[in-house]
Amino acid sequence: MISFITNFTSVIESLAKVHRLLPWLIAYVLLLFLPNLITATFGEYYVDLANRCCLFILLAVGLNIVKGFCGQVTVGHIGLYAIGAVTSALLAQNYGLPFWLSAPLAILVTCLAGLVVGLPSVRLEGAYLALATLGLGESVRIMIAVTPALGSSTGIMMIPAPTIGDYVIESFDHYFYLVMTAAIIGIYFSFVILNSSTGRAFKAIREDVIAASVSGINVPFYKLLAFVISAIYAGLAGALFAHMPPGYLHHNNFTVIEMVTLLLMVVLGGIGNIWGGVVGAIVVTVIYDQTKDYYFYQPLIFGVTMVFLVVFMPRGIGGVIEQAIVKRKFIEKHEEQNLGTS
Amino acid sequence: MRNWTKFLAGLAAGGFVLSATAALADEIRIGITMRMVSENGQKYGQMVMDEIGLINEAGGINGHQIKATLMNDECKSDKGVANANKLIFQEKVHLLVGSTCSSVSLPIVDVTAKAKVPQIIPHSTNAKITQKGSAWVFRVPVSGRFYAGVNAKYVGENIGKKIAYICAADAASQNDCDAMQAQMKSQHGTEPAYVAQVQEKEVDFRTHMQKIKLAGVDGIMVAALAETMSRALIQSYEAGIGPNVRRIGSSSASNAPVPKISGDAVKGVFYAAAYSNADTRPIAKLFNQMVKDRYGIHAPDHDFSQAYDLIRIVEMALNNSDLKLTNSSLAADRTAIRDAIANVKNYQGLASGPISFCADATPQCRDGNKTPVLISYRKGGEAFETEVLARVSMPEDFGL
Repeated sequence: MISFITNFTSVIESLAKVHRLLPWLIAYVLLLFLPNLITATFGEYYVDLANRCCLFILLAVGLNIVKGFCGQVTVGHIGLYAIGAVTSALLAQNYGLPFWLSAPLAILVTCLAGLVVGLPSVRLEGAYLALATLGLGESVRIMIAVTPALGSSTGIMMIPAPTIGDYVIESFDHYFYLVMTAAIIGIYFSFVILNSSTGRAFKAIREDVIAASVSGINVPFYKLLAFVISAIYAGLAGALFAHMPPGYLHHNNFTVIEMVTLLLMVVLGGIGNIWGGVVGAIVVTVIYDQTKDYYFYQPLIFGVTMVFLVVFMPRGIGGVIEQAIVKRKFIEKHEEQNLGTS
Repeated sequence: MRNWTKFLAGLAAGGFVLSATAALADEIRIGITMRMVSENGQKYGQMVMDEIGLINEAGGINGHQIKATLMNDECKSDKGVANANKLIFQEKVHLLVGSTCSSVSLPIVDVTAKAKVPQIIPHSTNAKITQKGSAWVFRVPVSGRFYAGVNAKYVGENIGKKIAYICAADAASQNDCDAMQAQMKSQHGTEPAYVAQVQEKEVDFRTHMQKIKLAGVDGIMVAALAETMSRALIQSYEAGIGPNVRRIGSSSASNAPVPKISGDAVKGVFYAAAYSNADTRPIAKLFNQMVKDRYGIHAPDHDFSQAYDLIRIVEMALNNSDLKLTNSSLAADRTAIRDAIANVKNYQGLASGPISFCADATPQCRDGNKTPVLISYRKGGEAFETEVLARVSMPEDFGL
């Protein structure tokens, strides 16, 4: 409890550095014009694609916290996404709760589920943890598939879109403002977490569990915390997905294939790299959409891409860019030193 | 700054390339989204495209060419919705055809209703599709509510009332299973002897089959997609359930992989469908030959016939529509096509009965085919054979 309060304080301290918020606010304001730009340049449909990109950004950034920062091999993230989606949908449909209430409650339920999914991580590592989380994720999907109250085979229909007063947020561009805001906040908070002592504890666990434990880091607590934080992202993404028009959920939206696609996004972008996750989510979503005409070869394209990345770009796009920046700085520094000596 | 310039230039160039594929005037645009993850699924899509190609070769519709865009939705609702959005908002289609799976067609109904685009369904049987009350949706296949009525009547009168059910978790199969149980109760007052809810791609049914064997049932209904159904049928014999216990299939039993995979286990299995390749009408014989020549399928199932009928209905409706086909007339053209489809009456094609639509946004009006045909397999394997047991026309409000 004491360590939690200490960490919470550290997160607040990071947030207090207000001047760091300015670039984020500028980026946010600029992104408000994006739907108009996309519609004018590419067409209205591409705003819908941007909405899906934002949902996957949330998922990829959330998965990066547990996988990239903390080094926990989880394959159950889609299960958490499903819990968020179904919970929010049922709360809105059965109890008439507005999105602004159903989504936070869905996130809360997903957090509890994240805690359950995270429990095996206390005792399991690597492939064993992957199998355990895969089992939990798939169990969620099967539970949805066979339970009439959760949609069963027909799915959950007529999930209401979010509203502000009497206005229904259902057009592509207006929904973009909602998912984009969530994505921006999600990215920002992942930076806050990464730069706090909590983020450093995550990285210490990722690098060497024993060394982290010896250093006084409460390893089980931080492992669980990583799962819970990533569950917040998954729950929010799920709620946004559920209420996105036409407001329909089916257990087929949460299969292992979706999990593999999500992993590909994180690997492509760069494991442990926040912007990498963002880039990975956008690149994979767009490529998937643009290669629909070659549907027969899509699994092959993604499979080969995954192998190529693992072999030739193990740190992903983000890692390559990071390496280039480091290299450039190193060269500049040496050039300065050479100039100084001459 | 120079980077920004490059970025904007790239964006503009990309936009130019994409806008080159944007809507063109003077052509009728049809968007198709189907489940094309199997060999047969791809052939359904291919046949639709081929038929449209033939219409174009023959001069098109009132001198206008049809531009068809075929997309795969993998039987996943989110992908189906994305396809529908792309076809409606990017390709600016006048008409949407789709989908194969009920769980994909269901959300697309809301998309087409909101965008005011006519949607015509080639394969989905879930009764809820037309019960949503969309004025823009039309169904060519027989609704699940009719199948259940025919199946239950035949089973109760010819086989017995003690029936076990194996229900897979896909929308169509679940609907067939629930409707059959409801019809058995309402027509014969019987409760299921055994019900097993299984996964969409379940592989092991042995435990269920042992329990069914012990229950001493008169019949087993297997409601599942083709591959899953085949496994269940084979394993029912492995469990020692003899041929005296009749196997009843859901509408997926008509799909060619069922007899091919099941082999001898498919013999005696009967199901309700919209078309039988054992149909002796000249039109059916010609169709069977055409499918065999073009796609190497010796006995087309009802998903082939329904896709073919759909194209013929679309062709009729388009010929009867007063289309302007300008960029500004898109909404009016879509409405004209919808109204023309609603005016299709008594279409006599490959289907077991006439297909008729009307203007009201009700299942009575929009479930076009109300005549299921009961079909039984006489032989399994690659050269499978079927026979027609009965053909029943149902009242339009049956099962509502």
